[in-house]
Amino acid sequence: MSSTTLATAGRTARPRAAAGADSARLRWSRRLQHGGWFVAPFLVLYGLFVILPVVRGLYLSFTDANISGDHTGFVGLANYREALRDPLVWDSLWHSTQFTLYVVPLIVLVALLMALIAHHTTHFKWLWRLCFFVPFLLPSAVVGNLWWWLFQPTNGMVNHVLGLDTPWLTQKSTAMLAVVVATLWWTVGFSFLLYLAALQNIPQHLYEAAGLDGANALQRMLYITVPNLRSITGLVLALQVLASLQVFDQAVVMYQFGPGPEESTRTFVQYTLEQGFTSYRVGYASAISFVLFVIIAAVALARMWLVKSREEATR
Amino acid sequence: MGQPGLNRRHFLGAAGGLVTAASLGFAALGSGADALASGTRTRVRYWNLFQGGDGANQVAMVDAFRRTHPGTAVKDSTLTWGGPYYTKLAMAAAGNRAPDLAVMHQGRVPGFAPGRLLDPWDTGLLAEYGVREADFNPVLWKRGVVDGELYALPLDIHVQLCFYRKDVCRRAGLLDSAGRLPAATSTDDWFAVLKQARKQLRKGQQTLGLHANDQNFCWWFFVAFYQQLHGTYFDADRSDLTFDTGKATEVLEFFRKHVTDGYVTPGETDAEAFLAGSPFTWEGNWSVPYFNDEKVDYGAQPLPPVFGTPATHAESHSFVLPHQAGRGGAADEGAYRLAAYMVTHATTWALGGHIPAHLPTFEDPGYRALTPQNEYSRPAMDHQANEPHIWFAGSTGILAQRLGPVIASSNLGSTAPDKAARRMKSLLEQLLAAKNPMTGRTAAQELKGAAA
Repeated sequence: MSSTTLATAGRTARPRAAAGADSARLRWSRRLQHGGWFVAPFLVLYGLFVILPVVRGLYLSFTDANISGDHTGFVGLANYREALRDPLVWDSLWHSTQFTLYVVPLIVLVALLMALIAHHTTHFKWLWRLCFFVPFLLPSAVVGNLWWWLFQPTNGMVNHVLGLDTPWLTQKSTAMLAVVVATLWWTVGFSFLLYLAALQNIPQHLYEAAGLDGANALQRMLYITVPNLRSITGLVLALQVLASLQVFDQAVVMYQFGPGPEESTRTFVQYTLEQGFTSYRVGYASAISFVLFVIIAAVALARMWLVKSREEATR
Repeated sequence: MGQPGLNRRHFLGAAGGLVTAASLGFAALGSGADALASGTRTRVRYWNLFQGGDGANQVAMVDAFRRTHPGTAVKDSTLTWGGPYYTKLAMAAAGNRAPDLAVMHQGRVPGFAPGRLLDPWDTGLLAEYGVREADFNPVLWKRGVVDGELYALPLDIHVQLCFYRKDVCRRAGLLDSAGRLPAATSTDDWFAVLKQARKQLRKGQQTLGLHANDQNFCWWFFVAFYQQLHGTYFDADRSDLTFDTGKATEVLEFFRKHVTDGYVTPGETDAEAFLAGSPFTWEGNWSVPYFNDEKVDYGAQPLPPVFGTPATHAESHSFVLPHQAGRGGAADEGAYRLAAYMVTHATTWALGGHIPAHLPTFEDPGYRALTPQNEYSRPAMDHQANEPHIWFAGSTGILAQRLGPVIASSNLGSTAPDKAARRMKSLLEQLLAAKNPMTGRTAAQELKGAAA
């Protein structure tokens, strides 16, 4: 099968309101015939490790299950009612939101800046790319430990370089900031790559034409680069928001499985873990994890809706 | 391009066949090896949570057991310490795939559904292997007993200690003629010692490592000093709180003063600061091998009895029998044999700083010769401060997780000590009213149910 026929098949397969039910069924069966076996292994694993646990988690959220699985009874919506009244649910949800509000704009800005540097630099391009991306390859436990040492009050490098004696990890005002800085350093490389690819995709002739029209560097940036990066920015934003709401590992390592000073860095996922695996309340932990699931799903759907309405507006 | 599909299909088929055949072959090899290794010997599956130096000592003990008991094959598994270990153990016991023997912190036993997730020890059978109640500290033995049955057979106690650097203290004139630090018996005494020692330090060095923002250490130290004040938590039938916020405030103010007077730098890496010349640090006895390796001239004693009565926090690594539907037979006896051997041959274990629970080992000249163990082991064994014996207590358990951060916020000055004490009280109230998820009953109901 050549690539042209594949592409045509893809186009014709797009569902249309006018298409009849019979032909739709035919198309599906043909698709399954060709692709079914290829996606089957994925579907089996997906079902086993994603769908099944989600369904089981939903069921457990209506029970008072403990870690051992016995003495389990159906409790209806009691877990959800308790979650709404539990101040630690709201506190930890706020901490995760707070983290998201700090880290996402920073990642977008810094990633873009780094991409511009790496894109426009003429010497050692590969070195810039390597330096910016390498931290992303580290495991979260390494990142957490590393920054825990860097932020030490007397021997830490951060204070040493800045000439301060700030107790970064033991005061509420800087505790979350410390996690944000560590996360920015760790994950910005991924968004940087996305931006770099997008920058390289902007047709050179646009800049040449603008140059001929007398546009200066700032104008080229504002009227060509930024508009052409709009869709990738949307993607970066969405990915980062979804990832940041689930913040957990680096914060937990930096605060050694504790909730941070004045319990200010206990994230939502951490609280779920505490309920499920320290207090052994698996039913309740399932219920609160579904609260987060709903929030994340809402964010994802909102983005889809935004993208779709924008596409329609530009059509 | 000819017929690439056909070739590729052939190739994939052949490759798939090879992989399948290879894995089957390895599987066959594996089972063969297993069968060879165990033969007709009894196989004992043993889970523990000992890593680092403790892990090495423990492996040495198991190896010694293997040499002296060729008829028993020990399959030991070391799992990650803390919460994850207990999660796995609970799920294995609930799913009837439990190991024959496991290690557990004694304080966690009441929350671990003894009787359902844990099987009781047969003390008669233990005695046959040389382990008798009379050979243990009675308080320690009783803490392993729930509803009249022994569930936790203690291997050791591990305690919180005041480590002091002899070189710095000697320069400060703080040591007695035997070269040891006299125990401070009042808070004024203690702060006078710190003040004297501080004069020997460089700027920026902390005088004492207090783990001021670590929820577990905060809770352990609190338990110790609160007990020095004879503080209690609940009444006998666990229906009412007896937590004394006055005494708790006194303890929290004592902690806080270390920070306000500049003896403690919150967030410091305490053990490393100690190695770098800081004169004191409060640490678990598991730091003994670490400090020994670094060749520091130091001593260690129980936390200072600043409120008059000596008491230092103690937990115990114990052996438990995770629940098995058909417990008994050769593997079960193997578990008894192994546990009894470890408990009665704990001198190797004591190199890790832990204090042997078995008194004949405790009195053994080989153990008594170990330093700094011989400085702290006897007073620590005699004056243990324990967490309350209740389902939400125990190492890295719910109490530490909920109360520890409150103590830390008082240490760091964000909550006033008296306010923190009241907060602790209200959290204890909540926990007392909460149901144990393992049994669906409150602490008071559990006690009544056991009596009925």
